[in-house]
Amino acid sequence: MHQAIQIAVGGLLQGCIFGLLALGFSLIYRVTAAVNLAQGAFCIFAALVTSSCEQAFGMPVMIAGLVGVAATAALSALLGAAVFVPGLARLPGSTMFILTVGLLTILQGASLVVWGSQSYTLTTFSGERPISLLGISIPTQGLWLIGVTIVITSALALLLARTRMGRAFRACAENPLAANLMGIGVRRMQLLSFVLAAVIGGIAGIVIGPITSFQFDTGGMYTMFGFIAAVIGGIGSPLGAVVGGLCLGLATQFAAAYMSSLFSNALALSLLLVILIWRPSGIFSSGPARRQDVRDEPRIHRAVIRLGLRRGLLLSAVAAAGLLGALPWGLQSGGLMSSVVITAILFLAVIGLDVLMGFAGQVSLGQGGFMAIGGYTASILAVRYDVPPLVGTLAGIALSLVCALILGIGAMRLRGLYLAIATLAFGLLVDSLTVGLENLTGGPSGLVGIPSFSLGGFVFDTPLRNFYLIAAILVVILTVLTAGMRGGFGRALLAVRADPLAAAALGVDVRRYKIGAFCICAALGSLAGSLYGFYFHFLSPEMVGTPISFQMLAMLVIGGEGTLFGPLCGVALITLLPTIFQPLAQYKTMGSGLLLILCALYLPSGIFGTAITWLMRMRPERGGVLAVRRSTP
Amino acid sequence: MNAPSEVPALDIRGINKTFGGVQAIFDASFSVAPGTVTALIGPNGAGKTTLFNLITNLLPPNSGSIQFFGQSIGQMAAEKIAALGLIRAFQTARIFPGMTVLENVAMGAHRLMKVPAYRQMLLSSAARREERDVRRRAEMLLDIAGLHGERNRAASDLPMGAQKLLEVIRALMAAPRLLLLDEPAAGLNDTETAELAAMLGAIRDGGVTLLVVEHNMSLVMGVADQIVVLDAGRTVAIGTPSEIRNNRAVIEAYIGREDG
Repeated sequence: MHQAIQIAVGGLLQGCIFGLLALGFSLIYRVTAAVNLAQGAFCIFAALVTSSCEQAFGMPVMIAGLVGVAATAALSALLGAAVFVPGLARLPGSTMFILTVGLLTILQGASLVVWGSQSYTLTTFSGERPISLLGISIPTQGLWLIGVTIVITSALALLLARTRMGRAFRACAENPLAANLMGIGVRRMQLLSFVLAAVIGGIAGIVIGPITSFQFDTGGMYTMFGFIAAVIGGIGSPLGAVVGGLCLGLATQFAAAYMSSLFSNALALSLLLVILIWRPSGIFSSGPARRQDVRDEPRIHRAVIRLGLRRGLLLSAVAAAGLLGALPWGLQSGGLMSSVVITAILFLAVIGLDVLMGFAGQVSLGQGGFMAIGGYTASILAVRYDVPPLVGTLAGIALSLVCALILGIGAMRLRGLYLAIATLAFGLLVDSLTVGLENLTGGPSGLVGIPSFSLGGFVFDTPLRNFYLIAAILVVILTVLTAGMRGGFGRALLAVRADPLAAAALGVDVRRYKIGAFCICAALGSLAGSLYGFYFHFLSPEMVGTPISFQMLAMLVIGGEGTLFGPLCGVALITLLPTIFQPLAQYKTMGSGLLLILCALYLPSGIFGTAITWLMRMRPERGGVLAVRRSTP
Repeated sequence: MNAPSEVPALDIRGINKTFGGVQAIFDASFSVAPGTVTALIGPNGAGKTTLFNLITNLLPPNSGSIQFFGQSIGQMAAEKIAALGLIRAFQTARIFPGMTVLENVAMGAHRLMKVPAYRQMLLSSAARREERDVRRRAEMLLDIAGLHGERNRAASDLPMGAQKLLEVIRALMAAPRLLLLDEPAAGLNDTETAELAAMLGAIRDGGVTLLVVEHNMSLVMGVADQIVVLDAGRTVAIGTPSEIRNNRAVIEAYIGREDG
């Protein structure tokens, strides 16, 4: 009993952290209908600044904390004004999501450059000695945490319910246009909510700082758990955020204590998936659901880029010939060949993502999870049961398709970003399983001794052979998908993305098409994962984890959504450039975040799309590009 | 008019729809004979668009039955109804942004495309033939509508009037058996309205049954074979144009009672 109470106290503290993080999500969602995935990065930024002030200038922790909060406010105001608010005005919901992934990436990358990859902690606010209350020991920092949570939650609830600013916030949420006409500065309110959320995150980061250690990329994890807590509680509701956080905290702590610490995350994520499917608006739904459909309509502004068939074939033929012929001999020596193979494998996975996002308009944050399923299934079968690689790869694809169908059927009933949330939970669940099922997957240290891919006795054991294998697969996949996307199938997907209601009124089974696109996406992810394992002869959870899912999103947007070939530009840029210019490696994360933001805001058709548009405009009479639409909101 | 024994293209019996406490449609009943133009008229807020939404099942009715060529479609999903050939155009044109004009029209043929997606991907000759036919037919329709020169532009770049026209062409591309048009003349000038009237006649003569919501009375009187008048959710009158022109209830609904 005593032990249970002790665990409950631990869960309570953990829950306060999650709750504070969730508050930020709810506040921003309330005002802007966007989900800001950079939220967790602000916590870590505040904590890192505080730590530097403590160590470099010898400030007492409270003063240093104030500096940290001020710095967070300043940074968030800058990023909000330069990126987030302009994005809201012109991007559809799914791209906003990706824009904030860019913010998260850039913040983590910048933290890596400034603070390095070591971990930090802060000094406790009032001594190290825990207080003992009825035999239960509570660290004093925990009391600070509980206090701060109560103060911030009540302050926010009061602000939203009672003040003029709160009313303005709510008006922005209900109907931005009308709010604007009533004289409320909607953009200012959006910025204000963004900064306020970042400040809450910053305070949370500083209060948690002494309890847990943190490093440049801890923010990603904070984002996940804050977001999950917000969804469990009902995103948009401050009370729901805290309750969701407490539920999540207690569930993970009890699972860690009574089952296995390795599975505590898995349990939290299963909880999320169950809630998503059983009660999609969370425990406390925040009033009527937002009318995503209405809001999204005027914001769709995609460029229309269509390559004529002849030009398309010509371009592909040239590209294929170039890749197949010239590259390998030029690169045979050194590690570059290996990077080219990795690029090609990732390209395969990102093509899948393009079918889902660029054509069907759905966001998946779980492509890494499908890579993991494909990779581990094929590798485990090969290592432990001597199953031929081809059979293992097919088994991985089959398993991925089953998962995709279950997720798809569950999540596609719902509109908006639910697939994104469900795939995020799925990806994290796979992450924790690959770490947790140590006997099967080799756990965090990875699975070793994976054989090379082989086909009928021919072993693909050199980078060059692998390159040819993957190039051949790419040619087949791209041919098949180009044919599909140019015909009625791709057209129906585009229609589903542009206006699901009008598509249904023409006889399109919207759900079936979305799930079909999701299955293609999952199958390609799984295939890429299997090839990854066979190429490296080794597979570890971080090679196919959620951070990779985010990176692949960046690659897709940078390369160009809805172009099938475009992602190659994005993948190559992020994978190859740091290999060629070694000094750049340190800036890789930051650079990819920056590129992602720039492309999402200014090059909606990505590098490839923009290049093609530009190229074709020079000779429009030859009928390459059919039409170009500038982004006017 | 057609023989009474014929199965009606659309048969609506006792449809009710309430939003909260408001009864939007009250016991609506009428039928549409195949190969005719029926106009649905009534003052603003009479429930015309709501009725369209009920027929295409974008909204579920509270009670009543809807039959399409003798087949009950009251419980059917919207896309199934469309697949049967009951196609609608919306009041504010819902063209697909991010797609070209030609692609928008080709999209209309969705219900007619029978070759499965995997065979398209494998470049089967049947799939290519089907796609070629769809494109040819789409270009032909665009040509008739005078939009052929715009076929490769982004559809969302067209002016509003052209977008409405595009939506009608897209609907025709589906080879509808019954076509529902929601205020096709809204925003058109007199010349364009006359063209529209001619087009509606041509569509009917092509064998498509039409149900049209319209405010423009000269258009309605000119092309309609049957007029259904709706007021505050109730069917006030059903009849030929000349019957409706002299109907007291209709005049009251539009102008108000003479004795105040």
